[in-house]
Amino acid sequence: MHSHIKQRLENIVDNLDQLPSLPDVVSKIINMVNDPNVDFKKVADEIVKDQAITANILKLCNSAYFSKGKEIASIDRAIVILGIREVKDMVVLATTKAVLNKVIMGYDLARGELWKHGVAVAMVSKNIALMKKRRDISDEVFTGGIIHDVGKTVLALFVQNTFKDILTTVEERNITFQEAEKDVMGFDHQEIGERVLEKWQFPPILRAIVRHHHEPQLAPKEYIVPVSIVHVANTICLMAGIGIGSDGLFHELKPEAIDATGLSEDELEKIYSEIPEVMQKAGEIM
Amino acid sequence: MNNLINIGVAQIGSAENPAVLRTILGSCVGICIYDRSKKIGGMAHILLPKNNGKGNDEKYADTAIPMLIQKMLKQGCSKEFMTAKIAGGSSMFKFKSSASLSNIGDNNVISTREALKASGINVVAEDIGGNVGRVIDFFLEDGRMKVKAAGNEQLYYKV
Repeated sequence: MHSHIKQRLENIVDNLDQLPSLPDVVSKIINMVNDPNVDFKKVADEIVKDQAITANILKLCNSAYFSKGKEIASIDRAIVILGIREVKDMVVLATTKAVLNKVIMGYDLARGELWKHGVAVAMVSKNIALMKKRRDISDEVFTGGIIHDVGKTVLALFVQNTFKDILTTVEERNITFQEAEKDVMGFDHQEIGERVLEKWQFPPILRAIVRHHHEPQLAPKEYIVPVSIVHVANTICLMAGIGIGSDGLFHELKPEAIDATGLSEDELEKIYSEIPEVMQKAGEIM
Repeated sequence: MNNLINIGVAQIGSAENPAVLRTILGSCVGICIYDRSKKIGGMAHILLPKNNGKGNDEKYADTAIPMLIQKMLKQGCSKEFMTAKIAGGSSMFKFKSSASLSNIGDNNVISTREALKASGINVVAEDIGGNVGRVIDFFLEDGRMKVKAAGNEQLYYKV
């Protein structure tokens, strides 16, 4: 264990200023949409206060991925035609790009790779939710998929300095890369990511996805299915090389996640084989 | 400056020197075919071993490889000057579940070798297996393949 790195990371997670920021409107929208008595008009009013976000959302509304054929020119119409949960997903897409679309040193991800990975995991997660008749959580696994690796943006610099030790730990102790991160640095990218989401005031289901996407069996019971869906989507995207970095495939596909999602062998193979089609669509919303 | 061409998952591409073809691999296999006489290179990034007629030919080793070779022959390449280098085919580190996903990397490599053999193209270098992610750069000036994996770089010059 590198105790000086652990100490520096403790300082970072205790000092919110050093963690990435998002505009306040994002958590406002997410929490408003989670309220069963949500007022659509208030959500639209909140979004249009920010011109840049509004312009981005209108562009996403008319992308082949989200569009339902009708040209959409206002946030009000977007909420009515596409749905409030889809508009919420677009708010997250439009605002997290600035955080995720970076060179991620240490993990050896070129600019754009972590962003592409997040979008791909989001889309695959949503597909899995729809495949397993869980439309009720399809938007949450989409949002969670986008940001599941946000902790890497903070941890990357420290991984760069300890990479050899992490890899040696993986090999000597036969543990996964993320377990070795914790072993060597005192924190893994899931824990750092959870702190980022606390700063952003994101709801518990999204915090659970970020905190447990490599170990879904440890998630709070009520969130095991959504966390497992993102876990499977993440594994399959990495196998297909989407956003794979220096941590490679030193991870585990958890049997508990297969059980929790109820995915069959045929379904898993189908999801993997359709990654090229997903990537084609991802290009439209990245 | 070399022209960098990214080859995405389930894509094929070919170009003349000067250019660099790049792809990023997990369990997929990247196939770099080089014609040393024309200095033309082609790359395929295959996702699965065998085409059962369900998807695009570019996804599968047994259909993407003949397709890439045909493309290169049309560009003026000849098989007598062509050789292949392959990389990728990693597996998940721990896999207690899902038999079908766990063998994809190995099966991709086997099917790739078979398809190249059937097409009469020799494999002169392989960087395969394990649990690493790989970034492959294929330089068309001399056909060398650079593999970056787990923080290390390895070069393969043989053509």
